[in-house]
Amino acid sequence: MSECKLSVDYDQYENGVKIIDLIEELAGKDESLQLESLIIGDWGGAYENDSSEIVEALVRLKDRFPQLRSLFIGDMSYEECEVSWINQSNIGPILAAYPDLRSLTIKGSTDLSLVPAQHDKLEELTIICGGLGKDVLTSINEGSFKNLKKLELYLGVEDYGFDGSLEDVLSLIEPGKFPLLTYLGLKDSEIQDEIAIAVANAPIVDQLHTLDLSMGTLTDKGAEALINSEKVKKLKLLDLNYHYMSDEMMNRWKQSGLNVDISDQQESDDDEDYRYPSLTE
Amino acid sequence: MKSMIIIGNSGNRRTTGLQAARARLGLPPALVLDYLDVLQGKASLRSVAQSMGQTVNEPPLLRLDAPGEHFEVERELIALGAPDAATQHLDERWLRFNKNPVQPISTKMAKTMEEVKGKLYHPSQWFRGYCILLSQLDREAAHLWDMPSWMNAPEDIAAMFDKRHTHDILSSAGLPVARRLAAPEAIPDYDTLRDIMVNKRTYRLFIKLAAGSGACGVIAYQVNPVTGAESAVTTIGVENYVRRPPIFYNVKKLVNYKDHQVIRQIINWLLRHGAHIEQWIPKASYRDRTFDIRQLVVAGQACHSIARISRTPITNLHLDSDRMSLEEVGISEHLQTTVRQCAEQTLSVFPRSTVAGIDVCLSSSSYRPYVLDVNPFGDLLYHSYYEGHDPYEWEMKMTSLSTTI
Repeated sequence: MSECKLSVDYDQYENGVKIIDLIEELAGKDESLQLESLIIGDWGGAYENDSSEIVEALVRLKDRFPQLRSLFIGDMSYEECEVSWINQSNIGPILAAYPDLRSLTIKGSTDLSLVPAQHDKLEELTIICGGLGKDVLTSINEGSFKNLKKLELYLGVEDYGFDGSLEDVLSLIEPGKFPLLTYLGLKDSEIQDEIAIAVANAPIVDQLHTLDLSMGTLTDKGAEALINSEKVKKLKLLDLNYHYMSDEMMNRWKQSGLNVDISDQQESDDDEDYRYPSLTE
Repeated sequence: MKSMIIIGNSGNRRTTGLQAARARLGLPPALVLDYLDVLQGKASLRSVAQSMGQTVNEPPLLRLDAPGEHFEVERELIALGAPDAATQHLDERWLRFNKNPVQPISTKMAKTMEEVKGKLYHPSQWFRGYCILLSQLDREAAHLWDMPSWMNAPEDIAAMFDKRHTHDILSSAGLPVARRLAAPEAIPDYDTLRDIMVNKRTYRLFIKLAAGSGACGVIAYQVNPVTGAESAVTTIGVENYVRRPPIFYNVKKLVNYKDHQVIRQIINWLLRHGAHIEQWIPKASYRDRTFDIRQLVVAGQACHSIARISRTPITNLHLDSDRMSLEEVGISEHLQTTVRQCAEQTLSVFPRSTVAGIDVCLSSSSYRPYVLDVNPFGDLLYHSYYEGHDPYEWEMKMTSLSTTI
């Protein structure tokens, strides 16, 4: 797959190079016509400059990227910008401009929206952030992604933008919403136990091959519901990587015969104030 | 074959490591002149040289090693740096930025200090004391030998140790370094720092204690210009008391402070003791972590190197980072050569020095090298080999066995 990553590095940013210039330069080349995957990295000062210009440029230049199937907006490390400080914008227009897109990944949730949340061919939607807003959850919930096979949402913590409730999260997995979904990731959450308990016996699990509840504050409480679920037993992979489960619970998983990732156990403390998801800031 | 004198703390891992390397190469053990003995007047370069029976024409190899990790030495150096210390023939050149330490500790007070694990006692006065000691050793060696054979000249060590000065020298020499926010004297306190950050629209910085070593005294500081949120990642901790001044200490792990008052207090303390502030260059990634490189240079030639991979902005803390070879993190042969050349050019700016560990980062996406730090004692690298030799063996091979140096 032909792939290209554009980003503005330390020197370029100091010298006034703009990500728009790089996008336009790429669009001006013939290779853009064959490009299947585009990764937008650090666009320079993402802690104060949002992604709206990028969205606008990609929409304007859509005819130069006819083969684009995969798009990542905001692929930057903490060295470039803390995830919770990345300023996004409404990514919705991208969905309308690129009807053949299959995979969309967004990193950062400050001022992120996804309106209209509608796409007939999108197979993968991933949002990586330290705290996902209720409005984005609602957009996805009320939107339409008929062909979605993988939904991976970092829910994060209240301090960094997670202002939803368990109900807002659960409304996403009501039966029939994503008929083709096989990978569900509701992860990196400070209410990971509640999510685990609610998802453990939800009808949607029957259609999944992977349930990803990793990177959150999962303890034995949530794990108990999962390990006792008949639906969970049928999964091909249960991802619980980064967790606060006890050694005893980990042993039970090891003996369960299930394909479960229980790596990266966090030091457990009885005080839940000291439990954090993996990616928050 | 040259004899050798190490000025260091005997019995520590550096001195022991070097002696072991000499033994493996069939070299006689070096004589160790303890910092503490020098500081307490119990021994001197002269007394060691006399015991060796050296003549003027056969200067021994002189190696200054790190004075750290030894409380009594630290206490003596702080006493030596006290404004009331009886310092003869003090050459002001050696003190550059450190002419008047803030809130000085008197000699008497310094001598009675008791050890508090991790406490940062008085970095600027310590450094003043260390520079005074270096100048004394330099002068003493010049009296003893026509051409003292320093591995690293004392004046170079003072220059490399002071990050403000190092940055000056490297940028004048045209080496790639991160842009300095402003001259150190233009940033006396936190409030001024914040003003300058706004004026220069620079919100991500490394604040480094001028004479700190390793991760100690470094803050990766950033301000979110939209929300005003602050983040300061550092190993510095502070404890406040009602009836006595706060204590600043090294917590040996990284803390990410968000609280404005705490950040302000720590930064103010650092700035009072002298700090170098430069832009934070986003480092290149290895998978989901980032890394920088410690490149050792010996006798003008780059040798041992390690990549330090971390989830945090401060890579030199063993606790939170991994060590890998440059190949393992996927750095091309071409790029390795670039890093080596960059490190060699860096050491060449200090022509009277034979050894330094140069910290180089590659900027994210473009992989351009930048010099982050120059460590005169940066050769304590475990499990690192170059042409089959560990760093100490290699240094001895290049210096003691060679006839050209």
